[in-house]
Amino acid sequence: MDPLSWGEILTRIFLQLTPTWIALVLLFVVSVMFKRKLGLYGKLFDSTVGMIGFALVMFWVFTGIFGALDLIVTHDPLAQVSGMKNKVPGTPLAGAEEGEYGWYLLGGDNLARDVFSRVITGAWIVVQIAPIATAFAFMVGITLGLPAGYYGGKLDTFLSFLANLILAFPVILLFYLLVTPEIVETGIPAYMATFLFVFPLIFVGILLNSRYYTQPNFRTPLLIGVLGVMGWLYLSLISEVGSKVHVIPGFMDLFDIPGGILVVFVSVVFVNSPTVFRIVRGLALDIKTRDYVAAAQTRGEGPWYIMLWEILPNARGPLIVDFCLRIGYTTILLGTLGFFGLGLPPESPDWGSTINEGRKFLSIYLHPALPPALALLSLVLGLNLLADGLREESLRD
Amino acid sequence: MTKWDYDGPILEIDKLSISFFTRLREIPAVMDFSVVVQPGEAVGLVGESGCGKSTVALGVMQDLGVNGRVVGGSIKFKGRDLGAMSQEELRDIRGSEIAMIYQEPMASLNPAMKIGKQLMEVPMIHEGTPEKEAYQRALEVVTDVKLPDPKRILNSYPHQLSGGQQQRIVIAMALMSKPSLLILDEPTTALDVTVEAAVVDLVKDLGKKYGTSMLFISHNLGLVLETCDRICVMYSGEAVETGSIEDVFDKMQHPYTQALFRSIPLPGADKNARPLKAIPGNFPLPHERPPGCNFGPRCDYFVDGLCNKDQAIKMQDIPGNDRHRSRCLRINEIDWAAPMALEDTKTKGAIGDVVLKMDNLKKYYEVAANALFGGSGATKVVKANETLSFEARESETLAIVGESGCGKSTFAKVLMGLETATEGKILLDNHEIQDTPIEKRDTKTVADVQMVFQNPFDTLNPSMTVGRQIIRALEIFKVGKNEAERRERMLSLLDLVKLPREFADRMPRQLSGGQKQRVGIARAFAGDARIVVADEPVSALDVSVQAAVTDLLMEIQREHKTTLLFISHDLSIVRYLSDRVMVMYLGHVVELGTTEQVFSPPYHPYTEALLSAVPIADTSVEKEHIVLEGDIPSAMNPPPGCPFQTRCRWKSKVPGGLCEKEVPPVRQMADGHQVKCHLSDEEFNNMTPVIKIAAE
Repeated sequence: MDPLSWGEILTRIFLQLTPTWIALVLLFVVSVMFKRKLGLYGKLFDSTVGMIGFALVMFWVFTGIFGALDLIVTHDPLAQVSGMKNKVPGTPLAGAEEGEYGWYLLGGDNLARDVFSRVITGAWIVVQIAPIATAFAFMVGITLGLPAGYYGGKLDTFLSFLANLILAFPVILLFYLLVTPEIVETGIPAYMATFLFVFPLIFVGILLNSRYYTQPNFRTPLLIGVLGVMGWLYLSLISEVGSKVHVIPGFMDLFDIPGGILVVFVSVVFVNSPTVFRIVRGLALDIKTRDYVAAAQTRGEGPWYIMLWEILPNARGPLIVDFCLRIGYTTILLGTLGFFGLGLPPESPDWGSTINEGRKFLSIYLHPALPPALALLSLVLGLNLLADGLREESLRD
Repeated sequence: MTKWDYDGPILEIDKLSISFFTRLREIPAVMDFSVVVQPGEAVGLVGESGCGKSTVALGVMQDLGVNGRVVGGSIKFKGRDLGAMSQEELRDIRGSEIAMIYQEPMASLNPAMKIGKQLMEVPMIHEGTPEKEAYQRALEVVTDVKLPDPKRILNSYPHQLSGGQQQRIVIAMALMSKPSLLILDEPTTALDVTVEAAVVDLVKDLGKKYGTSMLFISHNLGLVLETCDRICVMYSGEAVETGSIEDVFDKMQHPYTQALFRSIPLPGADKNARPLKAIPGNFPLPHERPPGCNFGPRCDYFVDGLCNKDQAIKMQDIPGNDRHRSRCLRINEIDWAAPMALEDTKTKGAIGDVVLKMDNLKKYYEVAANALFGGSGATKVVKANETLSFEARESETLAIVGESGCGKSTFAKVLMGLETATEGKILLDNHEIQDTPIEKRDTKTVADVQMVFQNPFDTLNPSMTVGRQIIRALEIFKVGKNEAERRERMLSLLDLVKLPREFADRMPRQLSGGQKQRVGIARAFAGDARIVVADEPVSALDVSVQAAVTDLLMEIQREHKTTLLFISHDLSIVRYLSDRVMVMYLGHVVELGTTEQVFSPPYHPYTEALLSAVPIADTSVEKEHIVLEGDIPSAMNPPPGCPFQTRCRWKSKVPGGLCEKEVPPVRQMADGHQVKCHLSDEEFNNMTPVIKIAAE
């Protein structure tokens, strides 16, 4: 077979991404059709910037999902094919077997793996970790920021000081510390995970209790059910046989998160939550002066009801925008971690690690490093544009 | 630039139409609007919010933003069409020939620039005046707006001045270039009544002195009566009636103007014998205007087939009067002199037993004198409430009157249990509740004492449906056994406040201000409240809606025998609905008595000034002119002796400077009437009424 020309490469990549295009077109057609009924999400389709951002983000989300479903990926991202080391894009596979894709669309890296497949598989890692880690950071930030803003005083001073302390700590240094074997040995990352991941439980528990405590017959089963499930997930998440935190027996452990990923989670949450804390605290300070908060106080509502049901829903606008931006930061942070080889295994196809590997031969072979870099850039750009669009639209009538 | 001379009218607006273009549709904000301002004349532009009065002002300034556009008609300033001018010519005119004063003084001043510099900029930019001359002019103008110590003022930053002083500076800035036309957009709305009176007075004097024409935009008919020569009433984007003050106030020729006057409390109104007549229905949204007459659906004189015929209604001249015009098809058919049809007069519920008793209530706050190193240093004490003593009875309305900083909100907080008292007692049904914070109060007590808030746009949680919010209050007050029962009760509460039941599933943003306020009232009555603290419940609403909400409160009070504590600074409405009045100043109760006692002499000097300050929209009322000097002192640093002594015009009548030394004792004047003042009985007896209604 002959090497592919650039036109053919692009066409083939385009065709390979067919599931993504179909999903994107479907999503946009449906959204635009019903945009007047969809609230803020619908309004997004009135802003060109927002639409472009949303399209970029959803492109990577769909690509990640379909990639994981094995619809897009052409080769095993970890498989090395002899003779393909550092080959330029469009090189045909020597001795391709029946049913095997005939080319390395974006060439091979220095370990003779398919760059295209690695980029697609890397998207799935980012699409999974970044939003979830950001969501955890938001839980921590909200659960601490609301009382700090609402109560003020000593509590506020203490928590704000703590937030400033964490923010003052050099991020990269912190990551290096967390992955150092000696530190992992002491169990500090595992304990930190235990501490940080308990916040969603606290958050949901207080949220439901403050809302339904007037109806104990409904509240108690609800809380037992929800907290039971969440608790089990929590314990499965933090507990690992053989690690420092081993609280539940192995047969009850639903899933195991590899230690490296857990460290990535912990560090991302730990670094992001102080900023979220500050935003939430500021919003709470502003919203607590509203009359509806006073109305809730004068009818004897508890402080947590006021914080979670009167203040938080009305702070959602800026928080949603910040959430989008923060997923972008987290994506970059993941890239940085991968680049330094922290947390994720060395053969991992995530974008940061791939860029780092490609970096070594950058002056000779550009193609292994460029695709993941462009992927990272376009996703973060998409998230920033999306946040811009959301901000603009939420301010308009 | 050189100012050109022109003999004709200063401002001629002819058939002006302005529209705003949103992504959904074109929204006409002003339609077929004509007004003429002659030299030296003050024209008032009156209407409810959303009627387009501010848009007219922005149209004159040619500053409509990206979405707004003049779609018809012309605006001529001294004979020149403003619409045809280039941006540069307009920039020359703005600030030098046409000056504008906005509602919020702080927003009009640059906080990072000294007052003097900001003032001097005006002639320096527009006329190229040398700096020294500009400084002299600034000094002159600041003296003209009656600010004390002009040199010091010129050398200070905006935040160092009080709200009233800031607004005076804004006026001074507008006058710096001796403009021919001054546009005032609700210039006193953000100020306290007594300060407002002084600013209005100033504007009137300066208008005469400089010969400036004025376009005065306001929603307050009383204020327009006091300042303007002519008036133009707007409704839903159109001028509905225009004419001289006397013609429009006394011989109105449009149903909307008439309805407006009938819905505001005038000194003669009485809540039981002659209740206010609210305008039915709601103000139409700009894109949902009815065919034919915009006011048609809410008009008492509506005739089907005529008023709702899809045609433009023209302004008609009213013969015999001076440039008096009205936009009504039935001018000649309506008997304008006919007295208002009296709706069923209501009898007042008998006043029952004492429900609430305050005994020497005191609330002090400790503030760290040094914000940065607080805690260790000396603390300052702010005396928010001083020895408050009064009783409130069942189905009684007790009005609490005072300007900002007088301590009325602190009192409300202490009563509600959001704060605890420093000293003294609050007795609710003979139980002491002054030391029980709200978390420790039992459900019954909490449900009994409820509050209606001032700002309708802030009183409801924007992200929860109306029904949900009321049901939540029911849950908290333990009303109803299950969700279905509570929902039923919530719907009946909506009935009580006369809102359609469909509103239960609406979000607050879909409701108008008046409707939101009704929901707020429904929520307060969820647990059958016996004492309701209403904190300026109608002051943020439009005039036509105020009457309806006030009446609703009164009606619920009659049915439920509620004790209403009505906090307000609007003495017209207080006089209309309250049984007893308590006047507060800097944390002190300066006067307390029945409404008749407080509104007739002898007065406390502060009550007297307040009464004089409130604008009354009635040409037959004569007021004694009392203008208070200066501003309300800060509660952080109250004057020694009598709190009012810094602004009191009677101070010289008290021998020996007693006012500056001692807090006056509470004096019992007549049965239940008390005044905190050093004046002698003789002086009190010689006081004359502030408000006189001329014999008709």
